[in-house]
Amino acid sequence: MSWRWFHQWGSPRWFYERAGRWQLVCGWLALILLVVGSLWGLGFAPVDYQQGNSYRIIYLHVPVAFLAQAMYAAMAVCAVVLFVWKMKLADVAMQAIAVTGLAFTVLSLVSGAVWGKPTWGTYWVWDARLTSMLILGFLYLGLIGLRAAIQDPDQAGKACGILVLVGVVNLPIIKYSVEWWNTLHQPASLKLTEKPTMPASMWMPLLVNILGYYIAAAYLVLGSMRAIVIGRERRASWVKELVGRA
Amino acid sequence: MSIEKRMLARELKLAAARPGDIFKPMWFLMLVISMVPLALSPDSVLLADIGSAMIWVATLLALLLNTEHLFQSDFSDGVLEQWLLLFLDRPLAWLVGLKLIVHWLFHVVPLICITPIAGLMLSVPTDVLIALLMTLVVATPALTCFSGLGAALTLGSSRSGILGVLVMMPLFVPVVILAAGVLIRATDGSEILPLMALLGAFSLVAATLVPIAVSAAIRLNIGGSN
Amino acid sequence: MLEFQFESLMAFLAMAPHGAYVWPVYILGLLILGGLTWVNLRQHRQAIRLVKRQLEREETHES
Repeated sequence: MSWRWFHQWGSPRWFYERAGRWQLVCGWLALILLVVGSLWGLGFAPVDYQQGNSYRIIYLHVPVAFLAQAMYAAMAVCAVVLFVWKMKLADVAMQAIAVTGLAFTVLSLVSGAVWGKPTWGTYWVWDARLTSMLILGFLYLGLIGLRAAIQDPDQAGKACGILVLVGVVNLPIIKYSVEWWNTLHQPASLKLTEKPTMPASMWMPLLVNILGYYIAAAYLVLGSMRAIVIGRERRASWVKELVGRA
Repeated sequence: MSIEKRMLARELKLAAARPGDIFKPMWFLMLVISMVPLALSPDSVLLADIGSAMIWVATLLALLLNTEHLFQSDFSDGVLEQWLLLFLDRPLAWLVGLKLIVHWLFHVVPLICITPIAGLMLSVPTDVLIALLMTLVVATPALTCFSGLGAALTLGSSRSGILGVLVMMPLFVPVVILAAGVLIRATDGSEILPLMALLGAFSLVAATLVPIAVSAAIRLNIGGSN
Repeated sequence: MLEFQFESLMAFLAMAPHGAYVWPVYILGLLILGGLTWVNLRQHRQAIRLVKRQLEREETHES
């Protein structure tokens, strides 16, 4: 088996050129899926008999919350790649994902809080999901702060890698302990997302939006990575060539 | 003399030369505790209710205060570099672990020792106070390790401020929750041993694994500086 | 299965009684996704401008 497909990722130039094309595809695909999924969810999915129209926030909240967690896991994979294969692009990906992941975490927190108002009667309750999402946000924030504090990009990348790996080991423990803590004090009377049975007309737009947000995240991360690659490689000859030609 | 003994002797000398480093966090702890009745109310029933949790949080903050610069002086005067160059027969993680243990003995145990006084001042009942002391003894090794990692990660940055604390604090969540669980059970008068065992297990795992991450962070900063 | 759930476009926009919660969330989502796209584009442009300036400086140096 040839390992070329893997070693290609070591070349920032190869990545920069390919990623531009992938980004274009992802961007349009995400736009179409998100427009279709959101309109479907907002206008065509049936009304929930318990929560009324407020449940339509689910079509944004759930995909975004999924992604906020998945992106931390993706960062951990990047950290492993960085330490095992010393691939600089993995560090670029970590940097890009941290910012995008924080934005998704904030969006999921805000949408959860707004959904809480008509459902629980208050914007914030110390519900297990909201609390562990808040902690996740602080973890993302810590990563961004750590990178900003260390001048040398290589060193900053490795420090962030260590932090991500320690964080990803801790994250399940945090999640379970927060859930346990929540039952210790007061069990949440109403759960936001766990519906016993959801008819297909309700979950199908959700599926479209989940896919759409995943692809949108890929689009955003690729875009951020391309900008970071150009910034870091600004002294490389291929970047000068590229800019000179344009 | 073995490295371990030499290190202990050195830390003893440093502690004797700078007693303020040990004293100041204790001072801070007592100040925070005195602010609680001032901010809330001098009502002893109310204070007894939240007292143990307040003492826990205050001790956590005091611990962070003195662990923030755990490796800073050793880093700037080249001791860490010497560890890397001279003690080739010992893994760096082992030396880091020793440093953390010594730090815990000299800087964290004194903090724990004055918490009973704080407990009396907030009229925490005796059995809860005993549980509080036990949770602190069992949980602080994990907290020391994590904040040590924060200190090591931000070593190379001159303008980090309290960044190491901010970065590490989310990881304290399980420890704080377990300790709070023990305190709630102690207040109810139910069995606390299973939760203490869990807390101890977490501390033990943290104490074995985190020094490895700390040593990687230190190596990174020394490698980056030359 | 695909049936518009509201009587009119106005009813859709009002989304009674929860329009005040649902729409701001979607608008915020749009703002965040759009904002990130804009930040990425700006960062990319800035990086390229930096390289361009560096190239110009090198050219004047040579001549």
